Amino acid sequence: MPLVFLSAAIFLNSCIGDDIIADEIEPVVRITNPIDSLALNSTYIFKASAFDNTGLIQQNPNISWTSSDNSILEIDGTSGLASAKKLGAVRVLVNWMESGETLSDENILSVGMTTVQQTQKREGSLITSSSYQLEGDFNLSMETGKLVLNLESNYKASSNLPGLFVYLTNNPTTTAGAYEIGPATSFSGAHSYSLPASVGLNDYQYLLYFCKPFNVKVGDGKFTD
Amino acid sequence: MENSQIKILISRVVYTLLFLLLFSFSGIAGGGWTAKKGEAYYKLSQWWIVSDQHFTDAGLIDPNVTSGIFNTSFYGEYGISNRFTGIAYVPFFSRATMNNQLSETTGNIISEGDAINSFGDTDLGIKYGILKNKRVALAASLTFGLPLGNSAGGKEGNLQTGDGEFNQILKLDAGLPFSVGNIPAYANVYSGFNNRSNGFSDEYRYGAEFGLGLKDKKLWLIARITGVESLRNGTLGTDINSTSVFANNSEFTSYSVEAAYYINTKLGVSASFASAFRGEIIFASPSYSVGIFLDIKK
Repeated sequence: MPLVFLSAAIFLNSCIGDDIIADEIEPVVRITNPIDSLALNSTYIFKASAFDNTGLIQQNPNISWTSSDNSILEIDGTSGLASAKKLGAVRVLVNWMESGETLSDENILSVGMTTVQQTQKREGSLITSSSYQLEGDFNLSMETGKLVLNLESNYKASSNLPGLFVYLTNNPTTTAGAYEIGPATSFSGAHSYSLPASVGLNDYQYLLYFCKPFNVKVGDGKFTD
Repeated sequence: MENSQIKILISRVVYTLLFLLLFSFSGIAGGGWTAKKGEAYYKLSQWWIVSDQHFTDAGLIDPNVTSGIFNTSFYGEYGISNRFTGIAYVPFFSRATMNNQLSETTGNIISEGDAINSFGDTDLGIKYGILKNKRVALAASLTFGLPLGNSAGGKEGNLQTGDGEFNQILKLDAGLPFSVGNIPAYANVYSGFNNRSNGFSDEYRYGAEFGLGLKDKKLWLIARITGVESLRNGTLGTDINSTSVFANNSEFTSYSVEAAYYINTKLGVSASFASAFRGEIIFASPSYSVGIFLDIKK
């Protein structure tokens, strides 16, 4: 009898179960290469990415492009190819039909003498979502042609939990679809991470700190556009 | 050295010894009592913990992916002589699990669960009976923690059945037999130092135990308090990927209750439950164990 009791205990609860993660967020479409101005008589291909309600990027989403004034800027509804026709201010709109709802993003620009990319820097602030310390400002910027994540001097993070990793993500609740930058290399003060060319300035909406071995979120910060 | 400095040194030594006596250990190793030559105690047991939360570095409780550890172990004490007792704790089957994480939105797997099976970290030790009479039993022990478990198992290397470090625990136990009315009882306290390697912080360990022998000593009810305090002299916690009960700089104060029932004069069964009053960087859920034991007295 004791042996039966013991054997039953060995297998009790020792199987791999399922944890359910509340990961729903608002689906969005985003213009990923916005500009401040487009040179007269030149062309420019606008690009956009669509993310579903779990933050995963959609392959070949059904998006359409429109211009607020075709006399200033014409745009191909499918490809996003824009042609600057006349000096003036204009609004480029991208629409994405998702589950019967139209989601959109816009880029307000002017047709002028030169083409100017929008700011090459995005900023945010980290907030802990756990009992571990995590705070500080950060920015993502293009520096001499390379994308760099900079944590500023007011950054502080706990060094006591095992395996603190840094991610860029479009869903701050999980690491699914996130880009793993790597383990946190510093826990106080200014430091930076160089990112590969495959990561774009506008590809992600959040900086996420995650305890990888415990599979638990520590905190995040949203890029303020 | 001046007289005042000598006095301070002596008083510190005296206080340290008193502290060691007050908080010295017993636990599973018979406390301050050593076995007589040829006497033995063997136990086959199953211990497990499943936890979806842990104590953070601030002592608060945060969630984590549900994880479990299951140890099937042999524990033995053998009286090498009337003074020396050999002790072995051998978790010959250890399993660590981590649940799947599923999206509530899509049902898809976000993070695939995992499990490993292996030998576990093993303790081998020897205990020396310093003093044993009707009033008190005092013993010192040295235990070697052998890293025979897996410290980086699974697809992500984040499952453990051991901490991957060789440690040595020096411990002092003091036991006190007495009775509550006609019921035999004992109390035991211990204090110890765990010297750890591989970047793990050393630990100060302490505990107390109280046991009551009911039904003509057939049924023993035991209550324990156990504490581990990290000296935080190792590498940063984040440099070591260990979690669950194997993380670096873990601390806790736990309590446990155990019932051990002698079916006959030698064979018995036991069951225990343990939980924590407080902790840091360690699972925050109860653990359980069941076992059968053989108590061979001469």
